[in-house]
Amino acid sequence: MIERIKEIWQYRYMIASLVRRELRGRYKGSVLGFLWTFINPLCQVVVYTIVFSVIMRSNLDKFYMFAVTGMIPWLFFDGSMRVGVGCVRFQGDMINKIYFPREVLPIACCTTNFVNMLFGFIIVFIALFVSGLGVNAIALAFLPLIMLIQYVMVLGFTMIVSSVNVYFKDLEHIVNVIMMMWIYLTPILYPITIVPEKLLWLFKLNPMTFVIESYHSVLYWKNPPTINILAYSSAGAIVVFLAGVLVFSRLEPNFAEEL
Amino acid sequence: MEKQYSIQVKDAEKYFKLYRDKSRELKERILFRSRNKYEKRYVLRGISFDIKPGESVGLIGRNGCGKSTTLKLLTRILRPNSGEVVVNGRVSSLIELGAGFHPDMSGRENIYINASIFGLKRSDVDKRIDDIIKFSELEEVIDNPVRTYSSGMYMRLGFSVAINVDADVLLIDEILAVGDVNFQRKCFDRLREVKANGTTIVIVSHDMNQLYDLCDRMIWIEEGLIREDGEAHTVGEHYLQMMEEERLARG
Repeated sequence: MIERIKEIWQYRYMIASLVRRELRGRYKGSVLGFLWTFINPLCQVVVYTIVFSVIMRSNLDKFYMFAVTGMIPWLFFDGSMRVGVGCVRFQGDMINKIYFPREVLPIACCTTNFVNMLFGFIIVFIALFVSGLGVNAIALAFLPLIMLIQYVMVLGFTMIVSSVNVYFKDLEHIVNVIMMMWIYLTPILYPITIVPEKLLWLFKLNPMTFVIESYHSVLYWKNPPTINILAYSSAGAIVVFLAGVLVFSRLEPNFAEEL
Repeated sequence: MEKQYSIQVKDAEKYFKLYRDKSRELKERILFRSRNKYEKRYVLRGISFDIKPGESVGLIGRNGCGKSTTLKLLTRILRPNSGEVVVNGRVSSLIELGAGFHPDMSGRENIYINASIFGLKRSDVDKRIDDIIKFSELEEVIDNPVRTYSSGMYMRLGFSVAINVDADVLLIDEILAVGDVNFQRKCFDRLREVKANGTTIVIVSHDMNQLYDLCDRMIWIEEGLIREDGEAHTVGEHYLQMMEEERLARG
């Protein structure tokens, strides 16, 4: 295990260059280029804001800020899952030809989406000030920790789906369906307080609930997250991550033969 | 295992699963369960050898004897089903050149990406980039996207990166079809230099002259087992002799 981590560390330059390739390569040739990194999340936020504050009215003050502060982190998760599910399979060419620790692929995929989220946070912070909501420095100090927790959790999920997908290709389609439902089973576009009592267990089983709650707490409510929320989200992150490592290391030795 | 060896292979076995008729869909999997049975097709039936640092070894044998599989075990792309394979130091492989190239990015950017796959950091590449570009003879097009390259240019770029990463172990599989005659000669000269610098080299080839030129030792693999392992010319002669006899017998 320690050997493995050391080895992955040796390959950090590969991760960095894959991330760079992904960030720059994705929009290469398009007219607006890198601007798409901002336009994409912005449009999503606009759509959800219109639906939930104009059509299905929410009584939260400055609802669009509630939506933005939950959506941007969610898009990190969403992007990592949808792209990550194929990140090993679509690199079959490379896996068959060169050796590198296979973990590099899901790590690079998550990191790419993480960097995209950081860019998205530029929008979040601009919006926080423009809307007059402002920030609370003490609450904000928790933001890096929350991001770290989310990164670990997202990486765990990505490792699971990317490795299973090598053997079970239907997963690509299943992940799309699941992600479509998952967004509504996470309190992103509504506060958890309006969830009916009898459904609450489902939300508590969902590790993303606590992550999104932390973001809302720090950015929208401007309070440091409660110990409970932090404890639940870290525990969720660790469990998912360990599951990811376990599944990936079991399936990884035969990647080259399957692809 | 001790570090006095650069490569150690011990009783390595490798088989591939051969499905008679692999059913992919759920319906078929349930209806025809017997079709999911597979045969093990052994490619390597337990081979062992040690290679010391600085040795250069040629792997020979007829098509399908397991040479390339052995090389893939050494790169760790494949894992043995049983036995052990240990390689010490940084490995560079000239097996599939240019794997991981991004077609829309320039040759220069791809050099950075490709070198990072061999574990080089950006500042190390900065130091070598001029040598790499010069070796590839692609100075004029290096800032164009690689999708505009011919296949020969593509290979040249891949070769230039792989040979310039200062590996401890260099694995080569039938690469010397790279570029034109002059470029091939240049590659060969470079390989000799690399060898003189003490890099361990394992090479798979059918060109005996190339092998004699580069290798001190040869390992002859026959049906997944080592038939002979020893001084390059001795093993080479025996191998050619057998092939010749076979050709005559077939008549």
